[in-house]
Amino acid sequence: MTAKAASAAPIETFESNRSGMRIAVVCAIYLVIVVVANTLPLVTPNTFMPQVTLVNQGYQLVLWLIWLAVLVESMVRQPSSPLWKLVFAYMALAQLWTLRYVGNPVVWSIGWATYPIQIAALVHLIVAFPSGHLRGRLDRAVVGAYYAYLIAISIAMSLIVRNVDLCQPTCHEQVFAAFADDGLAEWAGRANVIPPLVLAPGIFISLWRHWRYANPAARQVLAPVAVALPIVTVATALEYIGRNFWIEEISAFFESPLQPIPHLVMPIAFLIGVTRLRLNRTRVADLVVEFGRGIPIGGLRDALAQALGDPTLELAFTAPSGDGNVDASGRAVELPADTVGRAVTPLEWDGELLGVLIHDPAIEADDPGLVEAVSSAARLAIENERLAAQVRAQLEEVRASRARIVEAGDTERRRIERDLHDGAQQRLVALALRLQLAKETAAGAASLLDEATAEVQTAIGEVRDLARGLHPPILTEAGLRAAITALAERTPVPVTVDVPARRYPSTIETTAYFVVAEILTNVVRHARATDISVIATEAEGRLLVTIRDNGRGGADETRGSGLRGLRDRLAAVGGTLNINSPHDDGTTVTAAIPFT
Amino acid sequence: MSEVARIRVALADDAALLRESLAAALAARSFDVVGQAADVPELLKIVERERPEVVVVDVRMPPTHTTEGLEAAREIRARHPGTAVLVLSQYIETQYAVDLVRDDPAGIGYLLKDRVARLSDLADAVRRVASGGTVIDPEVVALLLGRPRRHSPLDELTTRERQILGLMAEGLSNPAIADRLHVELKTIEGHVGVIFSKLGLGPSAEGHRRVLAVLAYLRR
Repeated sequence: MTAKAASAAPIETFESNRSGMRIAVVCAIYLVIVVVANTLPLVTPNTFMPQVTLVNQGYQLVLWLIWLAVLVESMVRQPSSPLWKLVFAYMALAQLWTLRYVGNPVVWSIGWATYPIQIAALVHLIVAFPSGHLRGRLDRAVVGAYYAYLIAISIAMSLIVRNVDLCQPTCHEQVFAAFADDGLAEWAGRANVIPPLVLAPGIFISLWRHWRYANPAARQVLAPVAVALPIVTVATALEYIGRNFWIEEISAFFESPLQPIPHLVMPIAFLIGVTRLRLNRTRVADLVVEFGRGIPIGGLRDALAQALGDPTLELAFTAPSGDGNVDASGRAVELPADTVGRAVTPLEWDGELLGVLIHDPAIEADDPGLVEAVSSAARLAIENERLAAQVRAQLEEVRASRARIVEAGDTERRRIERDLHDGAQQRLVALALRLQLAKETAAGAASLLDEATAEVQTAIGEVRDLARGLHPPILTEAGLRAAITALAERTPVPVTVDVPARRYPSTIETTAYFVVAEILTNVVRHARATDISVIATEAEGRLLVTIRDNGRGGADETRGSGLRGLRDRLAAVGGTLNINSPHDDGTTVTAAIPFT
Repeated sequence: MSEVARIRVALADDAALLRESLAAALAARSFDVVGQAADVPELLKIVERERPEVVVVDVRMPPTHTTEGLEAAREIRARHPGTAVLVLSQYIETQYAVDLVRDDPAGIGYLLKDRVARLSDLADAVRRVASGGTVIDPEVVALLLGRPRRHSPLDELTTRERQILGLMAEGLSNPAIADRLHVELKTIEGHVGVIFSKLGLGPSAEGHRRVLAVLAYLRR
């Protein structure tokens, strides 16, 4: 930041010399266009040529001067923004209009056909003001629709309209009228103003959106255009109605010397707006001031969107797990897969990736370094919000984990219920039946009672196994080593056990025990291993339990809920689970459980 | 059966119904039940007072209902070395069984509680510990014998030899094994010799030492 500020002054002096040159050249080109466009009709005029009156010429001159001022101001204030290019493009297109007064039929036909396109250029300028960029789909759609419609209608009209304007003293045949049709032309002439007016709400919505995302300084710039737009729209609509429906009061105004006034509203609005523009860099200062006042958690995205003038801006923080990104509310954010239309700027400090800004690539193209300057200014706020986001993400994870634990508990309860019903209960019912039978048949009593006894033995065995599966008493009574050794005895694959004899807190022992139990079950079920080792060691206050097998590897963690449940169980005591299972090369599972 | 031969037994189990049933069953098999206790202190008092030949104690007793029975067994053996103890357990845990008999296998037993449903098994076990023998529940032995091993000399044993090894681990003497399998004592002695040489155990292991040697081998 400081280095940037120190070096800013000389660079800007250098740049201002260069931009002065550029302003002069652009103005000169514009003047040449104006002179040529206005001289041609004078040299070889046709009969459309309006009367040369002082009011008319004075009005034209004022209009050119205002637009010229808009052009110069925008070049001075935002040399790197494409705004001035749009102003220039509109000004140049507006001059095509004069070609319709040239005597040559081809030239005036071109002038006549192309004049509506300037309306699209003006819409483009309004929607892109003041950044010079179209941001978001709506902006592009509105401007695109105007260009598409006006170009299409210009081509269509040139093909069907034979006689243009007033047929005095002689009618001029329009040279492109290959499909001339007077009736259609009459109808089309009245109708073709309607679609641009129908599309006008799009401009208003776009402007309203810009207004909403703008900070007070940006609103100052937008305000004149926002006021001028409804005035010009209403005036255009009235002019159309007056001309086509011959409403005296309205058409009288548009025939009067006051007629040009509405046309001056838009350029004046632009001029006021442009003079309120400041250099891009002052936005960074605004942001710093805003941070000084303090912004609410979650409000950072909006602040950055305003500072960078990009309402589509997204802010994503590195997830607490280090894997993926989350937004301020802790929800996962996908980075755009294709870089077309979106740019991703990493937010990095001291080699640590805090998050990313996803924004319009035009910002960087406009003003290289602006994104970096803004994010540097926002560093503390970003760090703050990132920590808040991480806490929220952890909370989300805890919520999910808690839900899974409850679910696992329910599942377990259902399993026990099922085991009791299917096992012990069935046997006890069978036993009751046999005892009844024994009572009734004295002769066979001995063998029936033997069977009943066997039934009871099995039921007792089942209840015992069930109880042991819930919680092995040997774990509480004799500790982890004894319990894991007992587990190994019951495993149908040879297991080497190397576990410290000491006791750990009971949650730690239980967690370690169930990790080993679950993994051993998985190994027996899926791994086709012939050798397993369970090794527990202590390191830095953590109990590291490693279960290694020589099976086929390729363990799929997403399959089954067992491993998920283990992770939750471990997370509950601040532990982690690491699974390394290369294909055909055994599986090593390591659980790290803090115990101090 | 004469009055003189009646073995004096003390019982401890916190489940009254089961305790009474056990007492009745033992009495029906001509044992003299000299006292019943619901917890360890009460049992110790009875032992002090009645000096029974055998104490039958449940492994789960108040206050924690885990392995108080094992503690009680050690305590009784320490105070009255001549008293035989049979622990009735819900747990098939080889470690509990082996720990119980390790110090002095004479007159001590670890029997699964399920087993008492077969009265003859219970009576047999009480008699064996009363006469200074060792009793390890067949299920515990099965778990020991069945545990997976890599390249063990146990693989060299014939089915018959494994069976005999299991009976040795349960604490049976050679005559008892011969009796159980309905064969000549000499045959059993021959088998035992072969088993010991196959497993590389010294021939000196006799009597109680033999149980320990076999258990230790199987726990390896």
